[in-house]
Amino acid sequence: MNDSPMNGQLKKKLDSVFRDIETDVSDDGRLTIHATKESVLTVLSLLKDEGWSFLQLVSCVDWIKQDEIEIVYVLSSYVGVEDGPDAKGEPYAKGEPDAKRESILLKTRLPRSEPSVLTAIHVFANAEPYEREIHELFGVHFEGHPRLTPLFLDREYKIPPFRKDFDTEQYVKDVFDSVPPIDEES
Amino acid sequence: MRELELYFGPQHLGMVGNLSITLTVEGDRVVNAAMNPGYLHRGFEKLMEQRSWIKNFPMVCRMNILDPDSMEMIYAMAVEKLAGIEVPERAHYIRSIYLELARAGSHLFGLWAYSNMLGFDTVAQWAMYHRDLILDRFEELTGGRVYHIYIWPGGVRRDFPEGFEDRLVSTLHSIGGCVPDYDATFFNNRLFADRARGIGVVTREDALAMGAVGQVLRATGVDDDVRKIDPYAAYDKVPWDVHTSEDGDAYSRVWIVRNEMIESVHMIFKLLDAMPKGEVYNRIPNPFKWRIPEGETYVRCESSRGELGLYLVSDGGDKPYRAHFRTPSYTHGLTILEKALKGASISDVGNIMMSLYVVAPEIDR
Repeated sequence: MNDSPMNGQLKKKLDSVFRDIETDVSDDGRLTIHATKESVLTVLSLLKDEGWSFLQLVSCVDWIKQDEIEIVYVLSSYVGVEDGPDAKGEPYAKGEPDAKRESILLKTRLPRSEPSVLTAIHVFANAEPYEREIHELFGVHFEGHPRLTPLFLDREYKIPPFRKDFDTEQYVKDVFDSVPPIDEES
Repeated sequence: MRELELYFGPQHLGMVGNLSITLTVEGDRVVNAAMNPGYLHRGFEKLMEQRSWIKNFPMVCRMNILDPDSMEMIYAMAVEKLAGIEVPERAHYIRSIYLELARAGSHLFGLWAYSNMLGFDTVAQWAMYHRDLILDRFEELTGGRVYHIYIWPGGVRRDFPEGFEDRLVSTLHSIGGCVPDYDATFFNNRLFADRARGIGVVTREDALAMGAVGQVLRATGVDDDVRKIDPYAAYDKVPWDVHTSEDGDAYSRVWIVRNEMIESVHMIFKLLDAMPKGEVYNRIPNPFKWRIPEGETYVRCESSRGELGLYLVSDGGDKPYRAHFRTPSYTHGLTILEKALKGASISDVGNIMMSLYVVAPEIDR
């Protein structure tokens, strides 16, 4: 699927509106936007208004060598949502599948020591569990998130367990090797 | 009236799978619902970072017990995209047939869970038996019943054995012959309609705002299906329909599941007719020394529960640098379910959860 013209238009628009972002279109036509921590939510809202209204995933990558944590928002659009006769009143109208179905990646990098970014749940409701998960597994704080409580785990970790410097094998040894064998217990 | 806190699951008749919900109830009305996933969190995505590209195949399929084959497919698609591997034409057809068979099997399992929870024990037994017939075919093709690890980067592991196509068609015919029985006993049954109509309604606005996919979205009239809009494997080679409904309730969603099963079987017949001869596998480099060029990708496919995505990053090494799965149950089970349960009756909690087709292992990963 080649959607370069569509992404080209969006790229132009983004470049004219924002000064502190970098955009780049890959060989297979995927648009990647690098935004600063301050502008990422504004870009996200703008993309939503432009029709990329389906947040597929919020992911996180620990770039330990660069000492940075990267938050990745993957956006796409529902088919024809923006093509309706009265797009404001009718959120969906049947339309031909178009190039907007290709996902866009929006990224922002945070310092590894105290990573923190504004929550996106006011723009996309389904960002809520993703941000909880990233908070728990990568130790990223989302300002304004109403419940950054643990999602999956029930233990406290010194290093968030999905970071690159968390040694899974050592952790397994420390936790499970320390249980005394049954015959010694009695 | 006084508010009470009620724990629904993980040990509960209405709860299939390891998940629990903390309900705040007033009388028998749910005021608030908070999901507690994590009972099946195995940290697969972290473990994948320590295993070579090829060794991850037996791992990814275990993320979704009910529909392991879509997991294989999505991982193979991502690896192929990063490494630039082509797939032979025949392998595309085999993949589609295999995935549709898996979809029918997964839907039968889902039907077992749903009908069992509603008290339709007979239908549940039928569905489990018919799923077993499909597992027989999987065993013949791949050697495994539940986890198959049949899709590789570059194609599929082996071609159909001799006579497999005929046996597959006869298995599907024997299951298809029971559709009238299923309809009479379950889908057209007043008892089912009365319990499912108007239950767990997700409006189109909510579905679009909260990132719904799959049956949950299609039940609100949006014909969104990755197989149609972003075709992969051989889905653009044969004609088939996307089934939608307008009401957005449990009844519509379960009917869509029924129609999709039948559509899958018809699609398998069409694909078998159109399938070309040829290779099923393009050789990949030595898997023990395989390094994939630096890069990242996001790929998606339509699993039995909706859009399944994978964000995969390579740093040029012999293992993935980061893998993150976007599973349909994650959004359906954590965001949409919490909203759909508000105001519901306690007796409908399991009904709503099962009709949203939530699978716990897919959430926890």
